[in-house]
Amino acid sequence: MCFPESTDDVAFAVQIANQFKMPFVARGSGTGLAGGATPLDGALVIVTTRMNRIIEVDPSARYAWVEPGVLNLDLTRAVTYLGVHYAPDPSSQQACTIGGNVGTNAGGPHCLAAGVTSAHVLAVDVVLPDGSIERLGSLAPDTPGLDLRGGFVGSEGTMGIATRIAVRLTPNPPEIRTLLADFTAIDDASAAVSAIIAAGIVPAALEMMDAQITRAVEDFVGAGFPRDAEAVLLVEVSGLLGGVEIESDAIDRVCREHGARTVRVAVDPDERALLWKGRKSAFGAVARIAPDYYLHDAVVPRTKLVPVIRRVYEIAEQYELICMNVFHAGDGNLHPLLVFDGREPGIWDRVHAAGDAILTACIEAGGVLSGEHGIGLEKRDAMTLVFDADDLDLQARVRDAFDPDGLANPEKILPKGSRCGEIQRVPEGAWI
Amino acid sequence: MKFDLRLQLDLHLNPDELVACVGCGLCLPHCPTYRVTGEEIASPRGRIAAMRAVADGRAAPDAAFFGAMDACIQCRACEAACPSNVQFGHLMEDTRAAQAPERSRWQRAVEFVAYRGVLPRHRVLTSGTRVLAVAQRLRLVPTRFGLPQLSVRPPTPLAPDPDPDAYLFTGCVMDAWQRDVHRSALRVMRATGARVGLPGAGADCCGALHVHAGRHDEAVALAGRVMGAFPGDAPIVVDSAGCGAALADYGRLVGTADAAAFSARVVDFSTFVAGRSLATRPGSATVVVQDPCHLRHVQRAHLPVAAVLANGYDVKLTADDGLCCGAGGAYSVFEPELSLAVRDRKVAAIRTAAGTDSFVVASANPGCAMHLSAAGLDVRHPAELLEQRLGTD
Repeated sequence: MCFPESTDDVAFAVQIANQFKMPFVARGSGTGLAGGATPLDGALVIVTTRMNRIIEVDPSARYAWVEPGVLNLDLTRAVTYLGVHYAPDPSSQQACTIGGNVGTNAGGPHCLAAGVTSAHVLAVDVVLPDGSIERLGSLAPDTPGLDLRGGFVGSEGTMGIATRIAVRLTPNPPEIRTLLADFTAIDDASAAVSAIIAAGIVPAALEMMDAQITRAVEDFVGAGFPRDAEAVLLVEVSGLLGGVEIESDAIDRVCREHGARTVRVAVDPDERALLWKGRKSAFGAVARIAPDYYLHDAVVPRTKLVPVIRRVYEIAEQYELICMNVFHAGDGNLHPLLVFDGREPGIWDRVHAAGDAILTACIEAGGVLSGEHGIGLEKRDAMTLVFDADDLDLQARVRDAFDPDGLANPEKILPKGSRCGEIQRVPEGAWI
Repeated sequence: MKFDLRLQLDLHLNPDELVACVGCGLCLPHCPTYRVTGEEIASPRGRIAAMRAVADGRAAPDAAFFGAMDACIQCRACEAACPSNVQFGHLMEDTRAAQAPERSRWQRAVEFVAYRGVLPRHRVLTSGTRVLAVAQRLRLVPTRFGLPQLSVRPPTPLAPDPDPDAYLFTGCVMDAWQRDVHRSALRVMRATGARVGLPGAGADCCGALHVHAGRHDEAVALAGRVMGAFPGDAPIVVDSAGCGAALADYGRLVGTADAAAFSARVVDFSTFVAGRSLATRPGSATVVVQDPCHLRHVQRAHLPVAAVLANGYDVKLTADDGLCCGAGGAYSVFEPELSLAVRDRKVAAIRTAAGTDSFVVASANPGCAMHLSAAGLDVRHPAELLEQRLGTD
């Protein structure tokens, strides 16, 4: 384990790793949900937490150069006085690092309209797997040549380690409205999501929480989430006042048409902040139900939300597990949480079986494995569900071009060697 | 990996509290030692992982383990940040209780004198204070300890009101070293119309430091004495955040209905004042509020401080979610390096919040006040600041 404080330190560490043919893994705050930063085979862990400087902020060109260990929310707080923010806001944004966000191409509630991390990273200085330093991308709007920056974002440390990142800063919207719609049936809430998008509205955020998770977060934040709702939608619209009013009225109407009992509008920034604190604490709050959880990150077409969500609950019931759903409904990015007590004998087999069944159901509905958490270790062996041997081989060749010796976070993302279609167990070490 | 069984140590941790951490990491940015080191083992999540490893026999309770536990300031900001309500404070206190016999003979001797001989015996503490005051005059006490200027003369006694409808808790070190703060608190409380009583014999020390040091039985004994010193059901006002947090936790510490009823009477000074009417003159001097951890994270009662001061000052808040200042009771003495790194961060946040070179810091906890004063800041208790603005123009 090492704690570099500069690009040169990282390059030095990687060069040493090369010298001893030792695999290496970059790690930020360790908030990842797919085991991407889990060291295997005695890998050298290169911890970026001490590289936490905001190097340069350009308020007129609206970009900032930051080191990878800067926390996502710290960056937004540091530039708030300029009337701008860093748009991708993972639920873990108060704790996760920009470097980790780049590694996983992280999303967040507000990525529905703003786009995920890749859309907000202009350039990265990287230490390549051989220890050399390169800049990918540039501050120019369209860099000539291959978009290597685009390939690097989301590569989960398999193509090198980002040591300086140029991020786009987004102007704060002049007007924000946050609505909380309360439903007595999950199906109604799912249908309302599709209907909002079908009505031609792309909200800044469109989130859904089911009954159990709503109660768990309400116990923590006390924001006034309805404890007796079967599902709630948290919807945010932003922009110029006129547009915001039209859109929020339309969302209010669509929700009521789909059976919403109430639609409440946050009256001030404090109430809005509390509602979001609730949503963003959801995963952390599950220990109020049971001490362990297994989380998926599949994306399904929005039009299939109603049947897929129904199927997810059926699967959980079949395996006698508690299932809670809290997710980015607006882009169909499900986060079914199987909640359990790992001390119960035989529980892990049921959890894995249910997880496989849920993933298969999502993919059969036209979905994909991961929306934002990355593949890491945990979903590696499920890659064969969506990619055939040729696809995987092509990806492996791109990766080899960056890392011919296979030292940069090996055994992540791509299933090692095997190209067979069988679903394997979650690999050892993917669990904390 | 298996270790020699003789090296194993039962930490006596509540297994349900221990498994309640799901490892989400939302506590990390709120942990002062993680913030300054960037190391997992210096974070709440890492410490819990280490406790689990020792409790399961996967790691030895060796010097490295206890060193990592000792590096925790016990600010409990992680508890306030935890969506799953992990009781980190309990886990850490229980771990320290298990660790207590492992200390060296020298450490135990010093602790015995401090925890058994001085803190619970108020007369010993006040005479010791005068010895310390003489030593201070002779420049034998390093200024980095951050002690306030102590008086060689015995402090003037506080005068209680007859037929009280509220008590002021006086405590140990604060009463000996900062009795003027109590005097200010008394005046402000009276200005709100309260008749203020003082505790009877036995309320020498609340036992907070004993709990933090894992000296559970002594803490329970002290709690029994303190409870006996406040007859009736009048509210017990506390002007030290650390003592207030300890008194408010007697219900759990002692575990009786009487103790729970006692804890329910405990209220912080600013909360008490905020709930009553007080005439103050408006003013424009800049005051930066420093939230003591035991007020903000443990008692969750920090907001009234800024509210009551706002009537007499230009109040500023720090933008660090109430990150600890690094004082932590005796922490600054035992872990000076980390304590100073944490303090540097806090001082920077305070200066940024002030936005001017001329400001006063308001701190509702004597330990924080001393620690920050030693960094060159002008720190006052909210009671002192309010006293200066009493009356009408």
